[in-house]
Amino acid sequence: MAKSTKQQLEPQHNPSINLKGTLIAVMLLGVFILATWFGCYYLFLSR
Amino acid sequence: MMNPLKIAKQDARLYMSFMYVTFASLLVGGLMGLLQTLARSGKFTLPFNINYYTILTVHGVILGLVLTTFFIIGFQFALMGKTVGISDKQRKAGWWAFWLMLVGTVMAAVTILVGQANVLYTFYAPLRAHPAFYIGLALVIVGSWVAVFTNFRQLYVWKKANKGQKSPLLAFMVVINMAMWFIASLGVAASVLIQFIPWSLGYAETINVLLSRTLFWYFGHPLVYFWLLPAYMAWYAIIPKIIGGKLFSDSLARMSFILLLMFSIPVGFHHQLTEPGIDPTWKFIQVVLTFMVVIPTLMTAFSIFATFETTGRRLGHKGLFGWFKHLPWKDVRFLAPFIGMVAFIPGGAGGIVNASHQMNSLIHNTIWVTGHFHLTVATTVILTYFGIAYWLVPHLTGRRLTPRLNKLGIIQSIIWTVGMTIMSTAMHIEGLLGGPRRSNFSTYAGGDQVQSWIGYQMAQAVGGTILFIGIVLMVYIFIQLAFFAPRGVEEFPIAEEEVDAEPTPKLLENWYLWIGITIALILFAYTIPVFDILKHSPPGSVPFDWPIGRY
Repeated sequence: MAKSTKQQLEPQHNPSINLKGTLIAVMLLGVFILATWFGCYYLFLSR
Repeated sequence: MMNPLKIAKQDARLYMSFMYVTFASLLVGGLMGLLQTLARSGKFTLPFNINYYTILTVHGVILGLVLTTFFIIGFQFALMGKTVGISDKQRKAGWWAFWLMLVGTVMAAVTILVGQANVLYTFYAPLRAHPAFYIGLALVIVGSWVAVFTNFRQLYVWKKANKGQKSPLLAFMVVINMAMWFIASLGVAASVLIQFIPWSLGYAETINVLLSRTLFWYFGHPLVYFWLLPAYMAWYAIIPKIIGGKLFSDSLARMSFILLLMFSIPVGFHHQLTEPGIDPTWKFIQVVLTFMVVIPTLMTAFSIFATFETTGRRLGHKGLFGWFKHLPWKDVRFLAPFIGMVAFIPGGAGGIVNASHQMNSLIHNTIWVTGHFHLTVATTVILTYFGIAYWLVPHLTGRRLTPRLNKLGIIQSIIWTVGMTIMSTAMHIEGLLGGPRRSNFSTYAGGDQVQSWIGYQMAQAVGGTILFIGIVLMVYIFIQLAFFAPRGVEEFPIAEEEVDAEPTPKLLENWYLWIGITIALILFAYTIPVFDILKHSPPGSVPFDWPIGRY
């Protein structure tokens, strides 16, 4: 189980994994959602 | 992580029975979808005087209710059998669930096919179907409850035998999904048993339409999460194994499922935003609760990207997105669900538009909504189910996914993507131009606006035809995997935790707490408005068999 194996971990395993790509991908996802929402909101206002 | 168990032959037979119904439903329901898109193009008349609303109802019921429920319950039984095991008694209960659901399905399907239940899958009152339709649906739900309590029992027995250990992640997820399904389906069961069956039998003269629709959507929104959560199970706990990685975070996955349990039920009013008779304050409150679902959804997106990136970097791929190029694109067990994930981006964004109170008026009852759920359930969910079937079916039948079948699966995924992109995009645009959903082809006495819809309806027929080719190919692959592929062993992929993973907090398995909060939220969101509906409703409606209910 996780707890018992915790002591056995190798030092190079744990330190910060580079997740820059993930950060940018989720940011782009957020931008897409906002763009869709505001696009439809503009359409709503213009009608 | 516990070692996964071996699935015995007699257990595999039970799980496969659910799969046979799933893929038979795919063929029948898909054919109805093709006929609908052709009929709505205005260039094709349905043969043998078939009623458009009959095929529309078959399509919705067979794909939205039957295919999904059978696949989910079969898949979840397999997950439980693999992670916590199944006893002889539990297997017998599983067969009860299967037969009850099958008898109910056949009853409802025959009633629809003989034209006695053209009420669409939402069966809105005051349209009335033959009582056999409602009784059939009630049997499907009762059968699913047998599965619910069997799954609960499976985990309970395991926990007793493994005191102090955390439950396997997939078993935990199955129990969350079944808890949500049970709590939600109580609403539709109450409506069917107390309102629809007596009314359709003639024992009650009228029906409270608003109450029936409110109870339907109390069930109807969590229904879409019931479809989606098995896909999330695969994304969180199976895909990492397929791409050669590990589980990103056991705690994050459990927390996301708990949030989905809490926030997927007290939100049905966002399907009823144009409904008179519900206080706007309560609509607003339920819209806010709906938006809370964004949190676990984005947690899932983050977790998936992080799994991909962590795995890619560990395999030595550099650069900001270097890990992305090296995902196993030629493995259909990964590709089909991945396309499903991508489709969930526009699908989810569209869903936020639908649930936004004012903007709902822009798209309400238009074919935009149909385009939306063909991205979510008919792409995200179904392509993930296909992705699961590519390994689950041969695993259960003792066969192998051969390179040829893998290639056919990739072709199938591409066909689906092309067909759905054409059909769903055309539906979204036509919806923004005011094109209605649900209705048969009409020129509406030659209105100008109608002319702008016709081209998109033609595009939907093209997309629908391509999708039907994809369905035939998928059914062929399923038959091959079930009966003809070479004998062998196909892996049941379950991702393991990192060796240095943080322990999962025990709090995440406090069922009393999470189910208690869920019930409290439901009571908060529904008690006063339902009381208002009961107290202030206009007189109930007599049944209408015309224009589309029965003929």
